[in-house]
Amino acid sequence: MTIEVQGVRRAFGDVLAVDSISLTANPGEVTALIGPNGSGKTTLLLMLATLLVPDQGAIRIDGLDPVTQPTEVRARIGWMPDGFGTWDALTVREVLLTVAAAYRIAPDRARTRTDALLATVHLEDLADRRARVLSRGQKQRLGLARALINDPSVLLLDEPASGLDPRSRIELRDVLRGLAAQGKTVLVSSHILTELQEVADRAVIVARGRSLETQRLDDEHALTATASWRIDSLDLEGLTAWLADHHVPARRVGGGLTEVEVAGEENAARLLADLVRDGIRVTGYARSQGALESAYLAATEDRR
Amino acid sequence: MSWHGIRTVAALELRQRVRTSKWPVVLGIWVAVIALVAFLAYYATNDEQLRSGEAMYDVVVFFVLGLAMLIVPSLTATSVNGDREHGVLATLQTTLLTHWDIVLGKLVAAWALSMAFLVSALPFMAWAFFEGGVSFGRILLSLLVLVLVLAVICTVGLMFSTLTARPIASAVLTYLAMGALVFGTTIGFALSAFLVTDKEQQTVFGIPDNWYDTHQPPNVDPSDPTLTQEQIDQLMKAGQPTRADCTTFTRTTDVAHTERIWWMLPLNPFVVVADAAPSKPRPPQRNEVSTSAGFTPMRWISGGARLARNGPGGVSDECWVDEASSSSNQDPIEKALGTAPVWPYGLAFLLLAGTGAATVAGRRLRTPVRRLPNGTRIA
Repeated sequence: MTIEVQGVRRAFGDVLAVDSISLTANPGEVTALIGPNGSGKTTLLLMLATLLVPDQGAIRIDGLDPVTQPTEVRARIGWMPDGFGTWDALTVREVLLTVAAAYRIAPDRARTRTDALLATVHLEDLADRRARVLSRGQKQRLGLARALINDPSVLLLDEPASGLDPRSRIELRDVLRGLAAQGKTVLVSSHILTELQEVADRAVIVARGRSLETQRLDDEHALTATASWRIDSLDLEGLTAWLADHHVPARRVGGGLTEVEVAGEENAARLLADLVRDGIRVTGYARSQGALESAYLAATEDRR
Repeated sequence: MSWHGIRTVAALELRQRVRTSKWPVVLGIWVAVIALVAFLAYYATNDEQLRSGEAMYDVVVFFVLGLAMLIVPSLTATSVNGDREHGVLATLQTTLLTHWDIVLGKLVAAWALSMAFLVSALPFMAWAFFEGGVSFGRILLSLLVLVLVLAVICTVGLMFSTLTARPIASAVLTYLAMGALVFGTTIGFALSAFLVTDKEQQTVFGIPDNWYDTHQPPNVDPSDPTLTQEQIDQLMKAGQPTRADCTTFTRTTDVAHTERIWWMLPLNPFVVVADAAPSKPRPPQRNEVSTSAGFTPMRWISGGARLARNGPGGVSDECWVDEASSSSNQDPIEKALGTAPVWPYGLAFLLLAGTGAATVAGRRLRTPVRRLPNGTRIA
């Protein structure tokens, strides 16, 4: 159930939406697709969702080509578009039953599946209300349920967290982790890096239609990757002098804070211990940005 | 493509239609307007000389067709690009439904709704039927043709909604297409009639032009007191030609070869519906001169179209004398109605156009898309 994308390119007229994207998403993992607006994430997902033919390059989903075997691919994927539109006149339950019918799921199975999914996305209370009355976040949750109705082994989610309240986000995270734990392949595009940091196993950074790098985000990575730490101190002069003496690269940031670059958590802990031992009065010591954020900012720096 | 898939899409479409729009209201207005027209037609033609049932039937059927051509395009003309705008088309395309399921499902739904309009007009057709003059077979035939014509209109609307990005554009295009079929064909026929009109030798059976030169009317003075009224009449009659004076001769005159352009006429849905079941000529009743009395627009259209198809062939019968005794001197429309109908051509064309439109619509919904037309979005 692996997603493999090799050098995919897609233009709309003279607008080059996707220049060259390559990635691999493995079963049992959540792969994040991150990049600035207009970097080609949605276009790539449309190609994966069997809606667009790539101009160049190859896509394989579970070894199947979405261009020549769209039906087989559709049976295996669940796609949640960005800004999920829905049939406003139908009730929430009817929306899911209609999609189930479109997947040729038998009516009785469709009903049990619908009830289960409504519980998963916490829309049971609204099951018999018209989809029109749903808020944006509730519509997103309905979109997730819709994408899951055929029990897909590959999930393609385009900005699933947009419009969700904090509780729904946390629940979405749990749902995605649960799906990955079932051995499904989850590819999720998002802007919200802190969210992805916690849910994704690896991140593919794209900018200007090109995939720049793939970053592992698991614990092992956190132990070794370089990250920025912010230090707040009562003794700013002492701290600056100490850091200069010990050749720690540092820079002043706003609010009297100092930011240092440290490779790995082990080193970060040792630095804090050293500071305290030498009598620097530290009041705050925290990661300034996640590893993902640093990687993202580094990769997309040329945009500025 | 599967029946299950078509039914899924059709059920979805119908459910949305019935819930979102004010269909009961529209249907109510529709019935009220048709009822009004039927009543007016009844009173306007309720005359000894006119045939009420016939006239009523013609008026009601034409009105149903005309009004349906205004309403039915709105059922499909925005259905695909409207779905695209709402972002709900792609969610169907990524399921196991094929593009044919979606096209045919939408068509079936729109067609079923247009049938609701037709069925609600049935009581008034039945009324015309009971008024007399309309045969049951005729009602069935014109209904069948109406059903097919409405299906074609649905398909044309659907095609345009797959071709344009904005619903307003496809609605306008659909109405333009309807206008081209109804008015364009008629205007096109009328204008191109000049192109096929030539000065030609024509064989005429009638009173030769020189007859009046050789037969000078007698010099009668009606105020001459020596003549009785009877004698005056007799003398006057002697100066008039009789049927025996008609001969066959040739003459150069303007001849319109409508047989070269008649094919434009049956493209018009109104001509198809009219020609499929024109009223039968009624046997002449007492005190009646002509059999074509009565307001029967469908018969006129049908006869006119067939007349145009037959063209100016053969001998032109212009022996217009002594009308009552002439058997061959028939209304040309009446004569044309005896010839082969033109509606099968028109219906065949419309069905072909409908099939073509459905094919285009199907192709435009096929995914994955290689070329995305300007301005359209996929999801």
